[in-house]
Amino acid sequence: MRNVIQWVALPALVVAAPCYATVYHTVESAQQACFPEATQFASAGVKLSKEQMRAIEKDSGVRVRLDSQRVWRATKNAEFLGWFIVDEVIGKHEFITWALALSADGGVQSVEVMEYRETYGYQIRNADWRAQFLGKKHGAKLKLDDDVKNISGATFSCRHITDGVKRLLSFHDIMLKQ
Amino acid sequence: MTVTATVYLTALAVRADEQLFGYVKGSETLPKGASEIYQWITYRADKGAGHYEAIDWKTEFEYGVSDRFSASLALKSLSIDTRGLLVDGYVPGDKKFGFRFSGFEAGLKYSFLQPAKDPIGLAMYWSFDYDMLDPHSGQDKDTLSAEMQLLAQKYFLDGRLIWVGNIGYEATYAKRAEIANLPVGFDWPTDPEMELELKFGTGLSYRFVQNWYIGAEALYETEFETEVGQERWTWFAGPSLHYGGKRWWATLAYFAQLAGGGEQHPAQDDFNLHLIEKTKYEIRLKVGLNF
Repeated sequence: MRNVIQWVALPALVVAAPCYATVYHTVESAQQACFPEATQFASAGVKLSKEQMRAIEKDSGVRVRLDSQRVWRATKNAEFLGWFIVDEVIGKHEFITWALALSADGGVQSVEVMEYRETYGYQIRNADWRAQFLGKKHGAKLKLDDDVKNISGATFSCRHITDGVKRLLSFHDIMLKQ
Repeated sequence: MTVTATVYLTALAVRADEQLFGYVKGSETLPKGASEIYQWITYRADKGAGHYEAIDWKTEFEYGVSDRFSASLALKSLSIDTRGLLVDGYVPGDKKFGFRFSGFEAGLKYSFLQPAKDPIGLAMYWSFDYDMLDPHSGQDKDTLSAEMQLLAQKYFLDGRLIWVGNIGYEATYAKRAEIANLPVGFDWPTDPEMELELKFGTGLSYRFVQNWYIGAEALYETEFETEVGQERWTWFAGPSLHYGGKRWWATLAYFAQLAGGGEQHPAQDDFNLHLIEKTKYEIRLKVGLNF
């Protein structure tokens, strides 16, 4: 048994080693990437009631984990350009932080991966893969291997980003649409 | 021995693919071109009489041949310390050694359905195993095994709750070496023997905070042998704790024998268990790293 205790102590030491994330964008750099012409990003964070969370879940078919959403209103002088939303989806081990930019008419303008902490699946940063979402609007099917191509070896991340886009399009339709 | 092995393991430690459980397997395969090294350490103890401790060591390399198909190769070693335990036909006497190479294992895994995309993940797993030491007694014994398992995996709660199910069988050919100075009347057959084992396993694991999973798993195994029919059956179950990071992962599992039967040895202190080829409990630590 003495041997076992020594072996059990080992992972504790290893676990103490810090994990690190790859940060591709800060909020500011992601905002600039999504709306390079914008002159202002006005914070417009949204707190969701339980009813609103349920409505988004029902509309999108995707579970809503959090009752708040980080949102900015992008404008160029007084002209409304669209919405910038920072979100997190579940990765294999940690959350994937990403941003969705919606144009003034509610279509997807950009998908940016801000922080990625997973071992596999980083291919979701591929511009061609993210480009599949451009122009998608509320009501789009957004199903992996259907209107969104999967990246083999990155299925978990592809699935959750795809679900995230679907959920945020419903969020926009229910909470932000003007 | 422990110091040497600790240095050995430390050199390996650091990485991440999911083996959330100690004993049951998930259906996912490595992505194409990905490589991982795993170190398994399984501590087995208590046969209900005398003193029995054994440690199985396994160092495994796995490679993603394609996104659906991975192959692995493992080297195995055995440590054993048994005293005051005599089991006719199985444990012929005291044995103690620290660390001996015991065999190797090759594995193949093919994923038909992926749990992150399909309603359920399904994979087939094949392994081919050669041992030159008997894991129960530490005596010389040549064993060839071929195993096949169907692995199922299902995600719930966006992947935070994971269920796995396994069903499989293993066919074994074994031949023991002669032993001099056996106890009087002790049966130690050296003719080749054939065995067939069936196994059914299930596990549930929940990610309670980022990187950390807690789970429980259960495994039913039964073995049939030509001479005695059903030679043994056991139910094992226990908790598991898993940490998965970007570069490495570790899983610690405790597996207790809840019930067992078939052949039993007269000295065992609990006749609700099978304590000839199994022990009362096992502790397994796996550490993996990717590169």
